[in-house]
Parts: sequence; C-alpha cells; structure tokens
Amino acid sequence: MYEAVHAHPDGQSTVARLAKTAARFGFEGVVVRTDSSTRAEFDADEVSAAYDIDVVTGVEIDANSVEQASGAVGNHRTDETIVTVSGGTPAMNRFAVENEKVDVLAHPMTDSGDVNHVLAKAAAENGVRFEFDLSGVLRTHGGRRVRIIQSLRKLEDIIDYYDAPYVVSATPRSHLELRAPRELAALGEQIGFSKSFIEDGLAEWGHLAERNRRIQSESFIEPGVKRGRYEEEH
Amino acid sequence: MKHLPKHLRPRWRYLAVELECWPDSSVDRRAFQRECWYAGQNLLGDPGGARADLSVLQFQFDATAGVGEALVKVRHGWSDEARAAIACIGEIDGEAVGVRVNGISGTIRAAEEKYLGRRGQDSEERHVVFGNEERVAVVRDGSVDVRLDAAFAGTTDLDYDDSDYDLA
Repeated sequence: MYEAVHAHPDGQSTVARLAKTAARFGFEGVVVRTDSSTRAEFDADEVSAAYDIDVVTGVEIDANSVEQASGAVGNHRTDETIVTVSGGTPAMNRFAVENEKVDVLAHPMTDSGDVNHVLAKAAAENGVRFEFDLSGVLRTHGGRRVRIIQSLRKLEDIIDYYDAPYVVSATPRSHLELRAPRELAALGEQIGFSKSFIEDGLAEWGHLAERNRRIQSESFIEPGVKRGRYEEEH
Repeated sequence: MKHLPKHLRPRWRYLAVELECWPDSSVDRRAFQRECWYAGQNLLGDPGGARADLSVLQFQFDATAGVGEALVKVRHGWSDEARAAIACIGEIDGEAVGVRVNGISGTIRAAEEKYLGRRGQDSEERHVVFGNEERVAVVRDGSVDVRLDAAFAGTTDLDYDDSDYDLA
C-alpha cells in the first residue's frame, strides 16, 4: 500500500522523514506529489535504500486555468512518474478526466468541485483515477466533516456504478499527519467504505507507479511493443 | 459495592497508542483523555462513544523529544471503532500530533510487554544547516526536528551532508 504525500517545501516534513515514518507504519511506498511551483529536492534512490520503501516521484498541478494546467501536464509528464491534477472546480475536474496524460484527479469534491456521470464515464475511459481524500475526515469535525463525508459517499456511488478507477489518500503534509493503513481502513469502515475498498485505493498508487515506470522505461516502445528478448514458446 | 462475578464483568481490549509531536510540545494525560473522548464522540456519536469507552489507563510523554505512548481501554468488539476514532486525533491542546495504534492486547500486562516502552527516547540538540541557515534541531534516533522561526520542519539525518550537520 502506498501513500501520496506533500513534502517540504510544500509540506512541513522532508521526503526522507515522510518515507521513514511511512515505512514504520507499514506502507510499501510513498508518492511524492509536491506542488508544481515548489520542487522538493531529494534523491529517491537514496531515500528508498535507507528506509526500505519505494519512493515514487510525482507532481501535483494546482493551476488557475485549464490552459495553464494543460501546459504543466505536458511539461511534467515526461519527468515525473505520477502526475496528479488538483481538482475542486468544475472546469478543472472536467479537464483532468478528459486528459489521458493525467494519472489522478486529486480531491475532486472540495470547494465548488463536483462529480457526475459524465465525468465518471470520461475518467473510466481515459484511466484517470479519482482521489478519495480522507484528510477532511481525519482533520475536521462537525458540520464541515458531515459535508465532506457526504461528498465522499456520493463520489463512491458514482464511481461504483461506472467502474471508474480510484485512489485513496490521507494527503499528509507532515509526518505527523500520516496515518497507518489499518487506521485508514478502520476509519473508512466508519464512514461507509469497506476495508477492501480503502486498501485497494491505497494499493492503486503502487499499480499506477509500476505501470508508468514500465511505460517510461527505455525498453517500452508503444503498447504491445517493447525491446528485449522475444518470448519463448511453451 | 461487591464486585461483579466474572461472567458479568465487561471484557476489554487494551490499545497501545504511540504519540509524536514537535519538540517542546506539552501534552498531558488529561488533555489526551479529553481528545480521545471528543474524537470518539465526534466519530461514533454519544452512544458509540459510551460503548467504546476509550479511557486512558497509562500515559507517558517526553516533552523535549516530543514522543510518548499511552494505553487506552476499549470495550471488546469495539477496537476497530476505537482505532478509527483515535486516528482522527490531529491536535492535542492545539499541538499537532501524530498517532498510531501499535497493537491490541486482551490484558494490560500483555499490551505493556509487547507494545510499550520500546521507543528509544534519547534526544539531543544539534546545530544543522537547513535551507541555507544555521538552525537548532532536536535529534532522536535519526529523526531531526529543525526549529524554524515560527514552526518546525521534520527531517532526517539523510537530509544533511557531513558539513551541514552537528556544527556546535
């Protein structure tokens, strides 16, 4: 299971500290999705070797307009393993799900953002994952939390019907905000998601990273075509 | 009052919880207990909170290092609910806190022996270079909490070259 984190200077803790804590909590990897304007400097291989955890480079594009976001996706797609787009407005949600270069539409239900059957169908077609952002459930309470839980339930109903892909994250911005997978699964059960739903969502980050690394590796030429030894007949 | 016969006594599970804060945070048992009950009440409602119990039996906290551990009593069959409620504790007395359930046992002694008292709490102050400026940091087991002007940054020894570390 993987967790997608915001590292310093976007968050309060460095990649190394987040990876160290995540490894102790039982995660198999962390996806570093730092804001596109502030790059975190780190050596993924060094951190990965020191704490025995997979470190995936990524970016979260938080743009004011669709044009800006489109440019940023093009810029970062070749360098980063995972490209997420920060949702929360109807225009940005629509842009992300219709763009197959985007891996994940992050927090689609915040602010004025919403998801409907059109977006869910487009996301399923383009393989864009909706993110279930549990940070609001973990770190707010009262009326705000009620609305956040309602919006997550709605999202689950829609993506379940259209079989759209999804990821789950607690969106930690420091090592103190990290929560272990079992805690997230237990929390999910309380708000109406099954344990396996949460675990699959956390694992999906890892599948995404694995797929993108394969596509970006030098031996990959196009879908169905890769360089290497030919397969032996059985 | 005479205590209940054994078959009528409630059965409990004991959750070993580890806590982590920024250095110099003062968190006491009373504040942690209050947050546990509030978190239970907010997530599980009054009936759920009452049934889960969530009383803090033991509490240790090392303020200079910012780490601690606690033992929380939960009604048998409610440990998943309690785990979810405890995960929702993000602040204690306004101090950001990281929590994790280390393990669950059926007796206090087993929980103590298996899950408590295992964290190395030796911490020391060092001078490091973080963001091109010399800063004071609290070092504990490879984790380095750097004191910035108004906040802290969480780092590890991996973030420093030899020349930037331990300048004192």
